[in-house]
Amino acid sequence: MNVIETSGLGKRYGRTWALEDAALAIPAGYVVALVGPNGAGKTTLLHMSVGLTRPTAGQVTVLGSEPAGSPAALDQIAFVAQDAPLYKNLPVADMLHLTRNLNRRWDQQRAEARLKELSIPLDRKVGKLSGGQQAQLALTLALARRPALLVLDEPLASLDPLARHDFMASLMAAVAEDELSVLLSSHVIADLERMADYLIVLSHGQVQVAGEVDALLAEHCMLTGPVAAADDAAKRHAVVHARRAGTQAHLLVRSQRAAEPAPPGWEVSPVGLEELVLAYLREPGAAALPGPVGPVARATQDIGSRA
Amino acid sequence: MTAVAAPARPAGRPRPVPWSKLGWVTWRQHRAALAGVAVLLGGLAVYLLITGLKIHGDYQAVVSCHPAGSAACEVAGRPFAGDHQTAGYVVFILMLIPALVGVFVGAPLLARELETGTFRFAWTQGCGRLRWAAAKLTLLAIAVTAAAGAFSLLFSWYYQPFFTEKFDGVLAPQLFVLRGVQYPAWTLLAFAIGAIAGVLIRRTVPAMAASLAVWAGLALGTPLFLRKHYQPPLVLKGNGPSYNNPPWVFGQWYIGPHGAVASQQTIRNVVAHAPASVRNPVNPNAATAYLSAHHYTQWWTYQPESRFWHFQLIEGGWLLALSLILLAATVWLVRRRAA
Repeated sequence: MNVIETSGLGKRYGRTWALEDAALAIPAGYVVALVGPNGAGKTTLLHMSVGLTRPTAGQVTVLGSEPAGSPAALDQIAFVAQDAPLYKNLPVADMLHLTRNLNRRWDQQRAEARLKELSIPLDRKVGKLSGGQQAQLALTLALARRPALLVLDEPLASLDPLARHDFMASLMAAVAEDELSVLLSSHVIADLERMADYLIVLSHGQVQVAGEVDALLAEHCMLTGPVAAADDAAKRHAVVHARRAGTQAHLLVRSQRAAEPAPPGWEVSPVGLEELVLAYLREPGAAALPGPVGPVARATQDIGSRA
Repeated sequence: MTAVAAPARPAGRPRPVPWSKLGWVTWRQHRAALAGVAVLLGGLAVYLLITGLKIHGDYQAVVSCHPAGSAACEVAGRPFAGDHQTAGYVVFILMLIPALVGVFVGAPLLARELETGTFRFAWTQGCGRLRWAAAKLTLLAIAVTAAAGAFSLLFSWYYQPFFTEKFDGVLAPQLFVLRGVQYPAWTLLAFAIGAIAGVLIRRTVPAMAASLAVWAGLALGTPLFLRKHYQPPLVLKGNGPSYNNPPWVFGQWYIGPHGAVASQQTIRNVVAHAPASVRNPVNPNAATAYLSAHHYTQWWTYQPESRFWHFQLIEGGWLLALSLILLAATVWLVRRRAA
């Protein structure tokens, strides 16, 4: 089952497409990192997945084939919007009660146990909690709904480093406990590097990369060699991004054949997730998408020869 | 709910979140606003009850005084006449209550969610935003309408002696809207205007201002331009309509000897030549009689008091229809409103 499936999905605001022609099929069971610079269309994609925004073009279905935003879909998806909007004038206990009454499924025990663990007092008003506590409360409310899919929009953006760490720890514990798929967005890949096992890179409203993290890391590598031979190497490899530093050229390449031997005079090294994401974001024309390999490889090749 | 089997649902479709749960949510989130309305109306109700008892007492003094018209009875009737003046201020305050309901209950209902971003929380819960909006709007609409309905009954009792004594006509615009089905209907409309303004404007304070402006426009425009056309007015020639049954007069003119409408100036000129007894009359009909003798006929258009309930139902009907349309449009807007 795919937790989110889109085809030709697009959203236009005025004359600009916030998201254009997005084709995604995110399988269940992953922690999906949705990465991209501010304004790349991440929130638009997430909002369309939970039915808050209507697509201008194409369609999006969730959890098999439920239309996004339908009651059947919302029943199983918990969404935490950016800045975790909650009713600030309500005490925490009433916020729990309210969320319980807005949902069919609810695990009160779990919610209370989590809040106790986090030492969030039930009688305090939501608005009086710290930013980190509010984010944790929003996560608690979402998890107590026992969702099949948890969608988080920039959950870390407004948190300080400590709260950020605690939040990710809570989230990882919850994922380990439940059979939960998670889709979370961030403009800082470093935050998600340790827990994401599926990556989507969005840039300028286009899906640039989509795939399992392990597979993506396996099919990309860094070639380091003399600048003089860079153009020659670029002809034989799908270069995503090329960087020249003095006499050395660093080519981040995508190889279709696994464990390809390094060309003579070149050194091969593995790439990290952050490096990979940055390379793609620097080359908005490059793409690494599942599906027919031909056109993608060609596009990548073009970039390579330009570089 | 116990013995009745729920209609079978297609397998896999979740049973929707029950209305009672959404009722709790509505109550919890809007109890402050409802409490405000309750305190305001409750306070006024107590005031009306106390002063109403005094009015009825003072009226008894008028009724039981014999012989009517004597100097002693004139003195005995003074408190009652004083009550009537005070009641005028009460009427003015009561006319503002529906506007307050629209501004403080209707307008913030959705505007606050949209303004603070909490709609992103509320609209992604398992119950779905359609049910959420329907529950909130329905329950609050019923609450404010019922409160206003009860209040209009209380007011009718409070003001009854003044109607009986013909101090006012029941069609007088400021009193007409406080009685019968008008008061709840205008309150419901104010609430519905506030709600739709909130979802359209998406900001609390501008939505409050807009709903106040729209409501005031309708509340002023209706008696000025619309209400008198519910039924063709009666046209009367000669002396004014009987004050035993005070009508709602909104037109009065003279037709001169040549069959044309005479201007105010013409009438003044004619009366200026009349004897002093006519110019400073004890009997207000003396001037009319004098004019009529000089071939100036007075004409009136008016709505008779007997049409009270007919007008109540006509106006209540369109107010209710308009309110329901606005509420339905609000739910529809919530359904399609994009984040």
